[in-house]
Amino acid sequence: MKFIGIVGTNAAKSYNRMLLQFMKKHFSDKAEIEILELTDVPMFDESDDQSDSDIIQMFNTKISDADGVIIATPEHNHSVPSALNSILEWMSFNLHPFDGKPVMIVGASLHPQGSSRAQLHLRQILDAPGVNATVMPGSEFLLGQAQKAFDDNGDLKSEGTVDFLESCFTKFQRFTEIANLLNVPEDLNFKPGTFEVTAKGHNGDLPMSVTLSKDRIEDIDIDTSTETKGIADVVFTRIPQEIVKGQTLNVDVISGASITSHGVIDGVARAVKMAGGNPEILKKRPKASNIVQKDEEYTTDVVVVGAGGAGLTAAAKVLDEGKNVIVAEKFPSPGGNTVRAGGPMNAADPEWQNKFDAIPGEAHRLKEIKDMKLDDIDPEYRDDFKKLQKQIGDYLDSDGKYLFDSKLLFRIQTYLGGKRTDLQGNEIHGQYDLVKILTDHALESVKWLEKVGVSFDKNEVTMPVGALWRRGHKPMGPEGFAYIQALQKYIEDNGAKLMTETPVKELIIEDGKIYGVIARGANGQKITIHAESVVLASGGYGANTKMLKKYNTYWTEIDDDIQTSNSPAITGDGIKLGLSAGADLVGMGFSQMMPVSDPDTGELFTGLQVPPANFIMVNQQGKRFVNEYGSRDQLTQAAIDNGSLFYLIADDEIKKTAYNTSQEKLDAQVKAGTLFRDDTLEGLAKQLKIDPEVLVDTIKKYNSYVDAGSDPEFGKDVFDLKVVKAPFYATPRKPAVHHTMGGLKIDTGTHVLNKDGEIIDGLYAAGEVAGGLHAGNRLGGNSLADIFTFGRIAGENSVEDKVLD
Amino acid sequence: MKFIGIVGTNATKSTNRKLLQFMQKHFSKKAEIEICEIKGLPAFNQPENRIAPEEIQALSDKVESADGVIIATPEYDHTVPAPLKSVLEWLSYTSRPFIDKPVMIVGASYGALGSSRAQGHLRQILDAPELKARVMPSEEFLLGHSLQAFDDNGDLVYADKVTELEECFDQFLLFVDITDQLIKNHSFQTEKNKNFSWEKVSEGGNN
Repeated sequence: MKFIGIVGTNAAKSYNRMLLQFMKKHFSDKAEIEILELTDVPMFDESDDQSDSDIIQMFNTKISDADGVIIATPEHNHSVPSALNSILEWMSFNLHPFDGKPVMIVGASLHPQGSSRAQLHLRQILDAPGVNATVMPGSEFLLGQAQKAFDDNGDLKSEGTVDFLESCFTKFQRFTEIANLLNVPEDLNFKPGTFEVTAKGHNGDLPMSVTLSKDRIEDIDIDTSTETKGIADVVFTRIPQEIVKGQTLNVDVISGASITSHGVIDGVARAVKMAGGNPEILKKRPKASNIVQKDEEYTTDVVVVGAGGAGLTAAAKVLDEGKNVIVAEKFPSPGGNTVRAGGPMNAADPEWQNKFDAIPGEAHRLKEIKDMKLDDIDPEYRDDFKKLQKQIGDYLDSDGKYLFDSKLLFRIQTYLGGKRTDLQGNEIHGQYDLVKILTDHALESVKWLEKVGVSFDKNEVTMPVGALWRRGHKPMGPEGFAYIQALQKYIEDNGAKLMTETPVKELIIEDGKIYGVIARGANGQKITIHAESVVLASGGYGANTKMLKKYNTYWTEIDDDIQTSNSPAITGDGIKLGLSAGADLVGMGFSQMMPVSDPDTGELFTGLQVPPANFIMVNQQGKRFVNEYGSRDQLTQAAIDNGSLFYLIADDEIKKTAYNTSQEKLDAQVKAGTLFRDDTLEGLAKQLKIDPEVLVDTIKKYNSYVDAGSDPEFGKDVFDLKVVKAPFYATPRKPAVHHTMGGLKIDTGTHVLNKDGEIIDGLYAAGEVAGGLHAGNRLGGNSLADIFTFGRIAGENSVEDKVLD
Repeated sequence: MKFIGIVGTNATKSTNRKLLQFMQKHFSKKAEIEICEIKGLPAFNQPENRIAPEEIQALSDKVESADGVIIATPEYDHTVPAPLKSVLEWLSYTSRPFIDKPVMIVGASYGALGSSRAQGHLRQILDAPELKARVMPSEEFLLGHSLQAFDDNGDLVYADKVTELEECFDQFLLFVDITDQLIKNHSFQTEKNKNFSWEKVSEGGNN
């Protein structure tokens, strides 16, 4: 039998250490006792997890591997020493080696008590759920007046004491045998069949069928037809895969989706129960991902990092050029942020757009641009601007009734929309050559996508949220997912290898040239991919708050708990990879916020989605603080200035204009606490912890502005509903990170540049990972235009350059 | 009145810290509460020379000069966190500023129990001869569901809990007075207690 003995103190001199050393020697013919010291164990700190450190891992491994543990505790102030608390806290935080482990407690002290009270505390501690040791009852061994108990050889002097210690130890050996029987996995038998249960989705419960044979989980099928396409896939494919693969319910939850992850696990557990099995047994089985696989090695022409829109496009172009490509994606399914996109992509296509009628206000907008002073335009854009002035002039002179557009209007709007100045006074605007490429070639991207298999709705020209003009090409089918679906099929049909759950950890760099990547596989194996070029298409860093805060120069403050509309995968990995190769960065201080997001999830499509004409924004004091029609940046900064959290107040009539909801959904949201409802404004104010008088006054004033058609406070000029009819609603909102404009510096050929402006041989970047294009603000609909246009260039050049070598 | 409030954890995010900050603000008219952090203090290692490191001595001085101490403890594994215990070990092993010091225990936890078991242990610990604090009896303040307990202004949102805390704090103010009388009028071997040692006891020398 093999035991671990823990000296319960870090003191240099300890009678408890002597006691364990005596036991080790005295019982050497009965059992092996290895003594562990606490001297080097760091103080537990939940905000600085050191579970992976050598010392903590050593304790974890030794305790896990032992048949049982003997703890010798002194008594400090009626309790166990802090050093012993500290190791037990580490062993119950993220690691749980004591779970079910037989434990014997002994203790020595200077006073006659012999650590009696510390031992009782220790029993209670070891009983805590995170520790969950199996402590031997009875047979308390208390060694009082320890300074008189040992002879010079370290042996216990009293024969009676030795006899009692022997009887305690013999009992512990038997106890260990019996207690460890509890740790033997139980046989699991199911009543075979398919069991219908539910999993928790984002929009309500999802039907789930679990098929069990006599002793196996054979299949888990979740009906995700009511979920947002693409986003849900990660949880609803990977968790079932892991459960079936490992025949275990001990699976890692997906970060950023713990509730839905647990929903799947709990659903399978219910099915197991229905089949007469004990799910606890499955929860105690080892993780599927702990089964480490052999390292893998591949050789290809181009490796693409990231399987969002940019990455899949680059891969498709590599295939078009007749070369091989491997796409490494961190997440279990492709799509990245593209699947979360609203759908329309910008491209100036006058031939098509001219078929649509102009709408009121558009001529005015054009005139405003035409009347801008040339001095206000940056020099490199002036030639284009003058040409645009003429185009607009001709259009207005001809009294055009159709929708106007041109590549030049697209270019100048992208430039003007992206122009910003940060808090330090640094001005930024879109890099001319990149903006020119985008606006000249976006339409080719639309045409190319059609070839790949994306169909666009030609009957409607839309203005995406946050855009400046109606030039959105909207795909048929489910929004952003439509692109990914088509591209994934295209590259797989044409022989690309798509490796999911394969985060790229480093670039292979030799003599300044990039020769591939090293990634980590789903089971911890090292994956080496040799390639002639690498395309970084891993997205921005919207889901990496630390990175955002580090670079931010635009917002006065970014909360530690800020949410994001991005996929949790978007953590700046490609930017870090680029930096490792000496890449230069551009515009990193600029990030885009979606001001009106769910405060808990960052999602855009919760609460009541209605036009700003129909709600009032109030801060946490119940006062208005901004024109509800302000730009994204205005709304965001106003919200930040007002403590981030704010509310959209509306009345019952709102239901008629909300395009995303039904009475049923409203009720569910009220019940879940994500939407507030009350029959009186006073009651609503109380729920929001706002002074009722202030809120009532705010609403009264606002209603009078609606009647008057003007808002003297904040200049809102478009009104629709007042707030009069009960019940009243308040949707809590907070700004969330939406897009990061900064990134790797690239040239028009998507080559990543170093700090001297030189090309880093073999390294390309496309999409949100690259900077310089959108500058200080990305127009709605331009990110899709960006990824498909620069993704195509990256794919082509990554092959061509190789040929040129 | 001048109190020291000790945040019983080294964690960056702590609702026990929030609780003390709320008390500091809410009771600012009744008492001055200085909040002391234990993050980064050296771990107790029982040095032979019985000399406290500088940072511990600084905390000791604050406790010594305060009229009372409020300890806010989380609960880890049914007991008080190691970092808090380490500080108490230092103080009990070196300068012993807690002897006869009025102490109020409060605690917050994410779950429903509000650190009840940690508070029970903390009482026993503070009763130890080397600490010998005067812990206010018969009053406990347990704040369960603490993650939801504070709004963005740091105010405690459970009205009943605010009332309870107010009563508890008023009692503590009284308790400090009473303890003061008890100690001042009868010096109960305070000095002798400060020199107490188990080594001496075990040799039959102290009592």
